[in-house]
Amino acid sequence: MMQAETAQKFEALEQLAAKLREGFTKAGFEPVAPAILQPADILLDCSGEALRARTYVFSDLDGHELCLRPDLTVPTARLYLERNPTVHDEARYCYNGPTFRYSPADGKNTRPREFRQMGLELYAMNDRLAAETEIFKLTIEGIEHAGLSDYKIKIGDLGLFTAFIDAIDMPTRWRARLKHHFWRPDTFHKLLRHLSGEDQTDTKDNNGWPTLDPKDLLGAMLIISNYMRDKKIPLIGTRSLEEVTQRLMDRQLDAAEKRLTQKKVQLIEDYLAIQGPPRAAMARIIDLTDKADINIARAFKRFEKRLDLFKEQGIDLKNMEFSAEFGRSFEYYTGFVFQIEAPNFDEIGPVAGGGRYDSLLKKLGAMEKVRAVGCAIHTERLLTVVEGEME
Amino acid sequence: MSDKALTLAVPSKGRLMDKTLEMFAKLGMTIKKTGHERGYHGKVVEHEEIDVAFLSASEIAHDLRSGRIHLGVTGEDLVRETIADHQKRVTFIKPLGFGHADVIVAVPKSWLDVDTVADLEEVAAQFQKNHGRRLRLATKYVNLTGRFFARNGFFGYRIVGSLGATEGAPANASAELIVDITSTGETLVANHLKILKDGVILKSQANLVASRTANWSSAANDVHAKIEQRILG
Repeated sequence: MMQAETAQKFEALEQLAAKLREGFTKAGFEPVAPAILQPADILLDCSGEALRARTYVFSDLDGHELCLRPDLTVPTARLYLERNPTVHDEARYCYNGPTFRYSPADGKNTRPREFRQMGLELYAMNDRLAAETEIFKLTIEGIEHAGLSDYKIKIGDLGLFTAFIDAIDMPTRWRARLKHHFWRPDTFHKLLRHLSGEDQTDTKDNNGWPTLDPKDLLGAMLIISNYMRDKKIPLIGTRSLEEVTQRLMDRQLDAAEKRLTQKKVQLIEDYLAIQGPPRAAMARIIDLTDKADINIARAFKRFEKRLDLFKEQGIDLKNMEFSAEFGRSFEYYTGFVFQIEAPNFDEIGPVAGGGRYDSLLKKLGAMEKVRAVGCAIHTERLLTVVEGEME
Repeated sequence: MSDKALTLAVPSKGRLMDKTLEMFAKLGMTIKKTGHERGYHGKVVEHEEIDVAFLSASEIAHDLRSGRIHLGVTGEDLVRETIADHQKRVTFIKPLGFGHADVIVAVPKSWLDVDTVADLEEVAAQFQKNHGRRLRLATKYVNLTGRFFARNGFFGYRIVGSLGATEGAPANASAELIVDITSTGETLVANHLKILKDGVILKSQANLVASRTANWSSAANDVHAKIEQRILG
């Protein structure tokens, strides 16, 4: 792996970044430089404790938890929020700088803990497909301009997945749970098995209280509060009696629902297994939805229109592959996702990736959802590949 | 640490120290402090080639990782918490049958709707909606907690550091749930907490542990073999 440990390598990386930046600024993206040190609190709230496993988190002398930024998407989004508190203004930013990730020392597979990232972020643009196409196209042009000619692109669409789950008949709560766990394949699979009744870990609640009337929250709260009093269980902590009761009611409803049929489970698994050239994948999706008699027309049309737009913009669909499952490893993405790989350099990981992340800014404190699309280019990897290709 | 062949670390206080010294004594290894009573150095009367260090159980885990000591008696919980890649750094020679403690996940008893880890993730989603933040989890076992929940599909929490009595955190509203050690469960009951059905992260006890990163000279290996032979019987 190319690391900027010598002046020569550093120069080469800077030159590459300058080349990329030239194209990006010409396209109207303002170069920004967010802080390297970030408050850990915000990142942990946003990404969860899993972040700790790959991020350098530490306390300063005032006891504040800080971290070295593990990517630039969140720091740049914070910068946008600072400058545009009302989040109505469209903005285009590009950046280039070091990011830091912990990777356990593991012989030759060790990834560098400090690497440089160059990226683009586009906020609050109403026309979603246009925004996605703009970012996607600029990324491809950028890496081509940098000298990469042999690459393949993986694309996915979390909007399609969401539409798919929405179209299958099941309780709304179950849909929410399935969507929530999309990013964790193991848990997702366990949940599917659970909803289908295949694992019988908790069959029926055998509680010490009478059946709760799903339409009478107050009555249910009274029942539960009496039960607690009889059992001498004090209500402690921050969760209220209402919250506990509400969930007991939901659980009771869940237990009474018909289990998810094997057919539906299979349908979801079949969808997630779809992989291949975009047009062929689309045919497969139509085939699946037709057979199951479900309707995902809106999301499907959007996907189709996006591909048409790509073509219109001169993006070659030939070396592109769709994967229904793709996007599972990055929790903040919410729609279109993409990744660019150099086939002869598999072991170093993708050279660029990006996508739509419409829920991040709200999590960071924006008053409302803000549409956002971005990409990040791993310039060290890109340079390694470009120099490798020349040899 | 010393010019002796091998350094053995034993807990420096409490029942864990008493039990450890008792066990070694039974094996014919009388451990005595050298110098003054409150010092941290000792020797094995019958084996001059062994240097004994009296350290806190968590220091022993740290020093096993760095290789400052060859052998140590400490809790399995501390080894697994302190040493992320413990398979590479240390070898568990033998569980010693004392110092039992379970690392567990506990929630308020009043959470009648929560029995398992899977419930936690749903509660977290509800909690986030109602309170605008993640569930807070108080623990000293940041690493064990992170690994356990990553394996078991619970992500909607934030760890808050715990210096004092972790089990009091839910009642005084500084955290919603805890990961802590318990031996009898009495403190949990006193604090109106219950252990989740699938919430035992680790059943821990004191172990004799060897550092793989220590300087294993042939003399050190000889002593190690002798101790291991005795302890494994």
